[in-house]
Amino acid sequence: MLVGAFACAHTPQLLARPETEDRDLVLRVHAAFGRVRARLAALRVDAIAVVAGDHVEAFFLDRVPALAVYVGVEAAGAFGHYRYRFPIHEPLARAVLDQGIERGFDLLYTQDAPLDYAFFVPLHFTMPEPPVPLVPLHVNVYLPPQPTPRRCYEWGRALGEILRARPERIAVMASGGLSHFPGTDRYASPDFDFDRRLLDMLAAGRGHELAAITAEELDKAGNVELRTWITVLGAVGAAPADVYCYEPSWHHGNAVVEWPL
Amino acid sequence: MSAGTAELHYRFPPAQAYRLNRCLYAIKSDPAFRARYRADAVAAMDEAGLALPERAALTAGDRDALVALGAHPYLVFMADLRVKMDGGAGSFEYF
Repeated sequence: MLVGAFACAHTPQLLARPETEDRDLVLRVHAAFGRVRARLAALRVDAIAVVAGDHVEAFFLDRVPALAVYVGVEAAGAFGHYRYRFPIHEPLARAVLDQGIERGFDLLYTQDAPLDYAFFVPLHFTMPEPPVPLVPLHVNVYLPPQPTPRRCYEWGRALGEILRARPERIAVMASGGLSHFPGTDRYASPDFDFDRRLLDMLAAGRGHELAAITAEELDKAGNVELRTWITVLGAVGAAPADVYCYEPSWHHGNAVVEWPL
Repeated sequence: MSAGTAELHYRFPPAQAYRLNRCLYAIKSDPAFRARYRADAVAAMDEAGLALPERAALTAGDRDALVALGAHPYLVFMADLRVKMDGGAGSFEYF
């Protein structure tokens, strides 16, 4: 069953904490992550299905999947001096893969790809004790042509149906966003107005409208990673979001939300 | 390049820039290659098979030139950041 739904920023500076960052802002985002962690514990989840966009880490230009499922025994990665390793809920990952394929989604699967920091940063702050296994789900967000927002939404809707039919207590978590432009001359000027309109829509339970946004609009708003949120929106439908925080830094709109189910 | 995509921040990486992007990816994600690059950038760029304009742009740290040559902006950004993270741990985790 699907018992929880969340979306978390994964800005690496939240983890690396360089002196370029506003300390109080970072700590406020950490506090919002702490609320997610408490909620995951209270919901007694058996597994977390994390929807994240690999940052050209597991999947380089030699092979670029639109959508992928990690079905190994565990998934591991590294960022800076951090080394991390998470067990995968293999029966659940298999169910997502098998039933996703059955429903017409041509998913890539991997038993050995490295796990990008897009997965690790929110889990570092939100994983409850004792830790629970993952189902890591990749959406291509940085290497055009990416899956369309509508396709992400449809995949999320199928994912939600698959998870609801399972016996485990499952939370789904999108990782990414909001507005940021890494590697471009807009890095220091994210589109905070877009983000605020977006969060108002989500709070009003109108997230399903994002299925109709275009790839160009996402790129223009610095929100290519919103595909992970749109995937989760497909799973939660018209549930209104509870916005835990929106903290615009000099380079990044940091948001943490829950969709209470 | 098709009309309308030139203004996008993240564009399809042209195949002629594959070796450049492969080099940036290796700097970002392959600690052994990154160590070789930090120790001897010229030898590492030889190993990666970069063309002269690519070598000049990477050596200069010229993001705009790299992107104009077909480099993916995210790879440029994170390759640079990971070199800095390796080189100056003291500037990270200061709170």
